[in-house]
Amino acid sequence: MKAHSKNMTKQEESGIYGLMAEFDDPSAVVAAARRTYEAGYRRINAYSPYPIEELSAAIGYHKDLVSMTVFAFGILGALGGFALQYWTSAIDYPLNVGGRPLLSLPSFIPIIFECTVLLASFGAFIGMLAMNRLPQPYHPVFNLPSFSRASHDRFFLCVKADDPNYSEVETRAFLQGLGAKEVSDVES
Amino acid sequence: MAAEIQKQEHVDTRPPVMGPGHNFDSLTQKIIDIVLMRGFKKGWIFGFAIVFLGALMLFNTIAYLVLKGVGIWGNNIPVGWAFDIINFVWWIGIGHAGTLISAILLLLRQSWRNSINRFAEAMTLFAVACAGLFPALHTGRPWVDYWLFPYPNTMGMWPNFRSPLMWDVFAVSTYATVSLLFWFMGLIPDFATLRDKAKNKVQRTIYGMLAMGWRGDARHWHRYESAYLLLAGLSTPLVLSVHTIVSFDFAVGIMPGWHATIFPPYFVAGAIYAGFAMVLTLAIPVRKFYNIEDFITMRHIRNMCKVMLATGLIVGYGYVMELFMAWYSGNTYEMFMMKNRIFGPYGFMYWLLILCNVAVPQLLWVKKFRDNLLVVFIVSMFINVGMWLERFVIIVMSLNRDFSPASWRMYYPTIFDFTMFFGTIGFFLTCMFLFIRFVPMIPIFEMKTLLPESKVDEKKVEELVSGKGPLGATPLPQFGD
Amino acid sequence: MDNNYAAPADLGRIQGVALGVGLLGLIAWVIGVVVSGNARNVFFQTYLVAYVFWIGIALGCLGWLMVQYLGGAGWGVVIRRILESGSHTLILMAVLFVPIVVGLGNIYEWTHKDSITDERVRELLEHKSAWLNPAFFSGRAVIYFAIWLGLMLILRRRSHKLDETGDPNLIQSAQDWSGPGFLIYGLTCTFAAVDWVMSLDAEWFSTIFGLLMIAGQGVLSMAFIISITVILSRREPMSHVYQPKHFHDLGKLLPALVMVWAYFSFSQLLIIWSGNLPEEIPWFIERFKGVWRYLGLAIILLHFALPFLLLLSRDLKRNARRLVLVAWLVIIMRFVDLIWIIVPEFEHGHQKHLSEYLIYIAATIGMGGIWLGWFFWQLRSKSLLPYRDPQMAEALAAGGHH
Repeated sequence: MKAHSKNMTKQEESGIYGLMAEFDDPSAVVAAARRTYEAGYRRINAYSPYPIEELSAAIGYHKDLVSMTVFAFGILGALGGFALQYWTSAIDYPLNVGGRPLLSLPSFIPIIFECTVLLASFGAFIGMLAMNRLPQPYHPVFNLPSFSRASHDRFFLCVKADDPNYSEVETRAFLQGLGAKEVSDVES
Repeated sequence: MAAEIQKQEHVDTRPPVMGPGHNFDSLTQKIIDIVLMRGFKKGWIFGFAIVFLGALMLFNTIAYLVLKGVGIWGNNIPVGWAFDIINFVWWIGIGHAGTLISAILLLLRQSWRNSINRFAEAMTLFAVACAGLFPALHTGRPWVDYWLFPYPNTMGMWPNFRSPLMWDVFAVSTYATVSLLFWFMGLIPDFATLRDKAKNKVQRTIYGMLAMGWRGDARHWHRYESAYLLLAGLSTPLVLSVHTIVSFDFAVGIMPGWHATIFPPYFVAGAIYAGFAMVLTLAIPVRKFYNIEDFITMRHIRNMCKVMLATGLIVGYGYVMELFMAWYSGNTYEMFMMKNRIFGPYGFMYWLLILCNVAVPQLLWVKKFRDNLLVVFIVSMFINVGMWLERFVIIVMSLNRDFSPASWRMYYPTIFDFTMFFGTIGFFLTCMFLFIRFVPMIPIFEMKTLLPESKVDEKKVEELVSGKGPLGATPLPQFGD
Repeated sequence: MDNNYAAPADLGRIQGVALGVGLLGLIAWVIGVVVSGNARNVFFQTYLVAYVFWIGIALGCLGWLMVQYLGGAGWGVVIRRILESGSHTLILMAVLFVPIVVGLGNIYEWTHKDSITDERVRELLEHKSAWLNPAFFSGRAVIYFAIWLGLMLILRRRSHKLDETGDPNLIQSAQDWSGPGFLIYGLTCTFAAVDWVMSLDAEWFSTIFGLLMIAGQGVLSMAFIISITVILSRREPMSHVYQPKHFHDLGKLLPALVMVWAYFSFSQLLIIWSGNLPEEIPWFIERFKGVWRYLGLAIILLHFALPFLLLLSRDLKRNARRLVLVAWLVIIMRFVDLIWIIVPEFEHGHQKHLSEYLIYIAATIGMGGIWLGWFFWQLRSKSLLPYRDPQMAEALAAGGHH
């Protein structure tokens, strides 16, 4: 391994992704996350078996962009739905149907609506996956055997090795001081 | 079991949304054991065998239909739409309750939805699949059904976007897609749980692939929750729009009995009505069979009964308005249509409909009946039948005697109409059996949020952070600069 | 919980202002009617618009009163007294219905069916005369008011008794009445809408019309309720009670109702427009002409699109000052929508001079003074919260609620 290559991250250099602290209580992990953030760590992450609003706030994450994507996709759907109908019914294939105008706006509304919802839903689903970088078959955190309980009944807090304040000894001591049940290395 | 419920009632008038004494472990185990167990329960195999026969009946009918053509059905001019569209509307309606339970109740933050939403969403998907079969086959040449979609083609033609049937294509395909997304998205974290709890490599691989690497990252949860809520927000108007557009299939035409402005809300209410009836029809036996009365409690049953009663009354309102306006309009055809509906050759169907959809459900006003599972089950069966009859009344009775008496003709279904209809019920139940066995039918992660231990205690957090708590001894390390 | 929710003293001042502005409206109305040169017709026709507008709020309040009992939600408790006061004005509206009976001949074309020359129309009206005749029309109105007043008094008595005794069974009893009550309410409101508004064009019919009007009064009264809560929230004691979460709840109901109203309206338009039948489409053709066309577009944009888009914002819903602006917009647009529905029936294709439409505004302001006077009199007479309701604690809890 070329330890000093420019492209190597700190994580890869040490072969360590970060330090993982394990908790068995949601309040404890939120408190720990808050203190870790206050201590100046920024490259941190938390894991829980169900959504905890306070937890993402504690690691300094407040606003996501999902609603923006949904809105943009929705607009795209509406415009697309209208354009499709207008171009096909009035320009490319103008057909007199029961004397209705070529631009039969009332009749076009239902499909405009459906296209809006369809695209906006894609925006929500695909946007969520893309921003979460999923599907992701491999991730270092899965190297930790006890991490399998992150989807069950345990809560985890991880300080990544590439955090500027990361230090193997001090960070470990710090995390242990937060009341973690266990603090372990995560191999990258 | 009835005794148990009785006991519970005396203590609390509002049963809890989850039975007592559960924690993360007991809850997860109870749900995933159904999925990860080795082999199959005997009852499951027995039930599956029966419903799979029904599905086979459907497949055979379809094969024969494709071979011979739609002539094997009983519909013929003037009744060009009969069982196929009745069943289509019936199934779509059933599907709607699933989305509504999931989406609207999520938006209204009704926590009682958490245990039944997955089940209801699955029901939606399978119901929509059954529904879609009918119009797709009714086109006569199902192998060119792709003509329904607007794509540049050598014929130089585009679909007629002024036709409600075209709106239907968009509505139903959008609905199927969005329902699938919503359902699958709700499942991702639970697939991760199954992956981590898997008992063998096959399970781990399959559920692992489905979980797509979900690891419960706090930022992921944040985006996930936003997206899920937005999907719910989108699904709610979508579900209304779908049945509205189904009602446009009729109302936009000028056939007496179809051309009524009240159709959209009246169809939507009818769909919710039928859908909740179907949820109850399925949930009452399933909760007993899998001992999950702790998760689908009497509170759920009661609330669903109330929704059924309310939507049933809206449907009843629709009947009243149709009757009144037929007379008030002073239109010969409208008035004849109504007379034909009530006293014509199919009149008994109308009276049966009133019995099933209007009379019997009034039992639900009485609290004692809402708490009696047998009564609720029977009432919901009546509604299932009633809502099917409603579509028969609307579709067949308007068509068989239209404007010109010379073209009047009675409609009689053939054996294939019935094998097709009962076949879809078999197919639907086959899917439900597979779903219950291989996918967690109760959302694990959402149920966890109902447990008291899942709540973040802000006071405790404050104590821990400020150092008054047990961890206060460690000073915060200071970094340079 | 103690009762320290007496109405603030300066509510009387607001009541005075309402009455004063109403008086100016009345004067302007009288002048307008006299100047118009067609006093009897103009008076009764403008009267009908004003009446339908104000009874919409009164009936809407009654409907919401039952809905909040049925829903058992926290937002219901904090607005219950407003709903009770709003529905109490039905007594006033029952009295104010008398002029409509007097002016039937000036309002409804079916009253003089014999003078209609078109034979087809005459025959049709002959058929409908079993329903549309002055005696039955008035009789039905008596029934409607009996039912509405009955429901209002039943619910009101329970609520006031709760203040005295604190007996939670009274809430249960109010809930038990609300279920069947709302059913009867829906039916009576529907037939009232058919009688008072739809029958203006006696040939036209639309089965959704009752629901459309019910949704309309739901929107209107919700916007009104929001305005009143905002007024109260700036004063003691309610300034301690109303929190962003309450406005957020009400602010969610408003766009929901706006959507329902738009959905009903669009369904009616699309079905009739697509059917294009001679007995239905003239109603819309008339409203697609001249000034009505632009008013119709304004309704789509300002009654549906703009409020809906604005109310998507979470921050706006939690901000009382901005929320109330949207509520006012909705109230104004409800009035415009009623004008669009009712007034073309009085013109028979001959567009009036624009200044004549001002009389409708004057009439509505004039009647509004009396209505609001009655409303504030009621609101001041009782504690502003049903403080002994078991849900009070939950409703008042400071909430991290979304």
